[in-house]
Amino acid sequence: MTRIMLLAVFFLFSAGLAAGEAVPPNGSAMIFSSLERTAATVRTISSDFVQEKHLSMFKTVLTSRGRFYFSKPDLLRWEVTAPVASGFVLKGEKGRRWHERTGRSENFQISQEPAMKLVSDQLFAWARADFQWLKKEYRITVLDESPVSLRLEPRSAATAGFLHHLLITFSADGRYVRSVELHEKDGDFTRIKFVNAAVNKPLQADLF
Amino acid sequence: MMVPSFTLFERMYRFLSSRRKLLFSATLLVVALGVFASSKLKIQEDIVAMLPDDSSSVAQDFRLLQLAPFTRKLVITLKVGNGGDPGGLTAAADLLAQGLRAEGVGNVMTGPTNLSGALFGWLGASLPSLATEEDLVRLAAGSSPVEVRSRLRGNYEQLLLPEGWALKGSIQSDPLSFSSVALEKMRFLNMIPNMRLVQNHFVAADGKSALLVVDSVVSMTDSGGSRDLLDRINRAVAACVPAGMTATVVSGHRYTLVNADTIKRDLYVVLTLSVFAVLAIYLVFLRSLSAIFVFLVPSSILVIATGAIALWDANVFAVTLGFGGVLLGMVDEYAMLIYFSCRQGGKEPAVITGEVARPVIFGAVATLISFGVMLLSSLPGQRQLAVYSMTGIVAALLISLIVLPHLIKPMPAGKLPPNDRGGVRRLPRRAVIAVWLAVLALCSWQSTRIRFNGDLRAVSMVTPELRLAEEDLVKTWGDMRGKALLFAEGTDLEGALARNDLLFARISGRIPAGELVSLAPLMPSSALQRANRERWVSFWQNGRAARLEDDLAKEGEAYGFSKDAFAPFLKTLGTPPPEATLEGLRTAGMGELVDSLIIRSPGMVRVLTMVPDTPEVVAALTEEIKTLPGIRLVSQSRFGDSVGHAIIHDFTRYLALTSALVLALLVVVFRSPSRVMLALVPVVTGLVCMLGIMGMFGIEFNIFNIAATILIIGLCVDYGIFMVCRLTEGSDHTTNRAVLVSGLTTIAGLGALALARHPSMYSIGITVLLGIGTGIPAALLVIPALCSKERP
Repeated sequence: MTRIMLLAVFFLFSAGLAAGEAVPPNGSAMIFSSLERTAATVRTISSDFVQEKHLSMFKTVLTSRGRFYFSKPDLLRWEVTAPVASGFVLKGEKGRRWHERTGRSENFQISQEPAMKLVSDQLFAWARADFQWLKKEYRITVLDESPVSLRLEPRSAATAGFLHHLLITFSADGRYVRSVELHEKDGDFTRIKFVNAAVNKPLQADLF
Repeated sequence: MMVPSFTLFERMYRFLSSRRKLLFSATLLVVALGVFASSKLKIQEDIVAMLPDDSSSVAQDFRLLQLAPFTRKLVITLKVGNGGDPGGLTAAADLLAQGLRAEGVGNVMTGPTNLSGALFGWLGASLPSLATEEDLVRLAAGSSPVEVRSRLRGNYEQLLLPEGWALKGSIQSDPLSFSSVALEKMRFLNMIPNMRLVQNHFVAADGKSALLVVDSVVSMTDSGGSRDLLDRINRAVAACVPAGMTATVVSGHRYTLVNADTIKRDLYVVLTLSVFAVLAIYLVFLRSLSAIFVFLVPSSILVIATGAIALWDANVFAVTLGFGGVLLGMVDEYAMLIYFSCRQGGKEPAVITGEVARPVIFGAVATLISFGVMLLSSLPGQRQLAVYSMTGIVAALLISLIVLPHLIKPMPAGKLPPNDRGGVRRLPRRAVIAVWLAVLALCSWQSTRIRFNGDLRAVSMVTPELRLAEEDLVKTWGDMRGKALLFAEGTDLEGALARNDLLFARISGRIPAGELVSLAPLMPSSALQRANRERWVSFWQNGRAARLEDDLAKEGEAYGFSKDAFAPFLKTLGTPPPEATLEGLRTAGMGELVDSLIIRSPGMVRVLTMVPDTPEVVAALTEEIKTLPGIRLVSQSRFGDSVGHAIIHDFTRYLALTSALVLALLVVVFRSPSRVMLALVPVVTGLVCMLGIMGMFGIEFNIFNIAATILIIGLCVDYGIFMVCRLTEGSDHTTNRAVLVSGLTTIAGLGALALARHPSMYSIGITVLLGIGTGIPAALLVIPALCSKERP
């Protein structure tokens, strides 16, 4: 379960990154290589996002908005602004989470929180263009070449128990992710769209 | 004056004097058979030698202690050194685990098998079967309208965050977090006090150490297997542990190996030194080529006794063989008496043999009595030692009386004057007695300070490195290997679980969850689960479930939850899932834990509970479980005391029996109270001085050397018999020399044992050395001094 979150999170924060696949179709290798080269040029990403949750347990679509920030090598901020302000920051081995309604904010060590440790490891591995893990965990299919669209299916039975597949669509220049869809086995799905993305724009230090 | 004689040996000498070739051939054949049989033996170095193997409670406790979860396993602490990167700890643990598996050391664990969502699912589904009355009170508070509103808002907000993608299922089936009540029961399953889980790895509280647990098929008592296992582990550590980290292994296998190596070195040293020391004494005192034959007697005895013990049981305890050095020095006294008597000559060899046979046989019988009593012991090591020594003594007696006289030629006349005192000068009688009494008084006073240490570790070789590793393990992880064990026993699982339920109900109030390890909260018996489910159903009746359903619908409306959003949860209120099973717990990733705490044997199932092994807890629980049938408490700290008490009890019994039998023998032999008292002088002196000197220097009795005390009786009484025979029955002064030389060789054998590094061998050596070292002067000096009026 945690891996779903991790994958989704790191896709949100990654711009212009791509992964290879164990047996990529014709032309995939070139696409991945191109995305890999592009990823190497990305230092920061900031973007707004809109998340739509199409869940049977809700009468209507559950929509939330927020912003995310990423700065190489190991800074990340995920912030929900509406309908409830909350979020977390990952900074190297440390982290901090907050919730506006409760007014609570707490620091944590990433290594002491299994979920956050996994998020951190995989996110930063992605940011550093470590594609080995992705190839190991997912079967990746290229759905479209321009803009690049990928379908990721979990290899492990445990993850496949609740995640059917992921759909990732990149921006036209391949520098950031434009949308992520998480499809569950029961037909529910979550879509996150990234808008107003800025790549390599200087980010304020106090964001992290 | 006529010297009492055993004419059997006189006649035997005459009979064999014309058949010497046959006699020597038969003797050599027996020795050769001994060599052949000896080659078949296997040395066993473990502590099992000195633990009761009967059906006593001590023996049962020892077997049960071996069932503790970490007793049978190797634990490896992977530690980040100064300047090392704690962030790489879990990855390094995985790498080491991989290396260990590649080396084939066994099953390697770095953390719980699979603590994924399956466990939380199992906990939630099992709650109706596990919930106690107190739990239901908490659920009532947790399902109030205010709490429902708060929980649903929390669920809604969680679903907006990234982790919400993973929580949808659990929110639907448990919107009010009822499973947290079941989750709290996991507190009773923390077997490693200072451990927390990081990325599903066992990591210490300071985050600088990771724990790997290795379950190997190699028995802890198998020294060869232990050496191979530890070699493979060391190879994996060398190959896989990164710079800046260290790996420390703690397990019984390390103790086995250290003890085995020490004992092997000791055996080599003890036997070599004994042989050379005895040979040197012979050369100094005997100064004759025929002395070689005297030396060959104890040497042959070693081979014959070892061969006999190998035929009796191929697994020979190292302690038994270590005693060979003592036997070497001990059994030569018969040969020595024969040698000096035959060398002195003056009579026909057959007559001399007959005369000497009497004190020799009585001395041997006294020693045999001492060892024979040890056959009654419940300690296999003591029984084996008895068989070994008795075989050696009988063989020494027969060779000394039947074979040796044919090999000794009398000295030319005048070489050994009749008034020779064997190198022992006669000291002023009163002074000797005064000094003796003073020494006895001092030692009697000091003997009150002697202490008994029943701790098994006192007789086990523990190197500073091992001690440090053990201390570091406790410091890093808490005392996970030092728990007292409570076994709930039943003929089947249900019976054992039912008793475990009763035990938990009785003790959970007095021991906090972090210190009490019990399966009862998570796996009650079927009967208790049934009762819990009936209570659960009853709890949600009378409109309570309906009210909660209304509250969920009403409060959920505000956050957009659909009507059926929590249908899976509501269904469990009226129709609880089937009972929790061991298979379910295993599937949820708790298989290792289940296998650690439920121990099956033919016709018996035991469910293990662990508590702190402190005197207060153990004492309180001992009282508590008296009214709980089928519960057995085993405490490692108390076990030492139990062994001590059992051995002291045995020792007291055997000491009394040995004393009575030896006394009876002396009465039969001498038929005079004063002579009997004289013969006992070396025994009394040896025992009192041994106890006094040990008390004076703080040398403790332990499970090994306390048994050696009986040997002092057997050995010293020989000297008493020899000396009293000489002084009161007209034997010649060769006895003095025989007692002196054989005493010196005995001391040489014991002295070599006292140089051993292994605590068990050393303690036997030093104890008997004190007894014999003081018993011999008493025989040579005090008996003649006391005997001056006794001489007819």
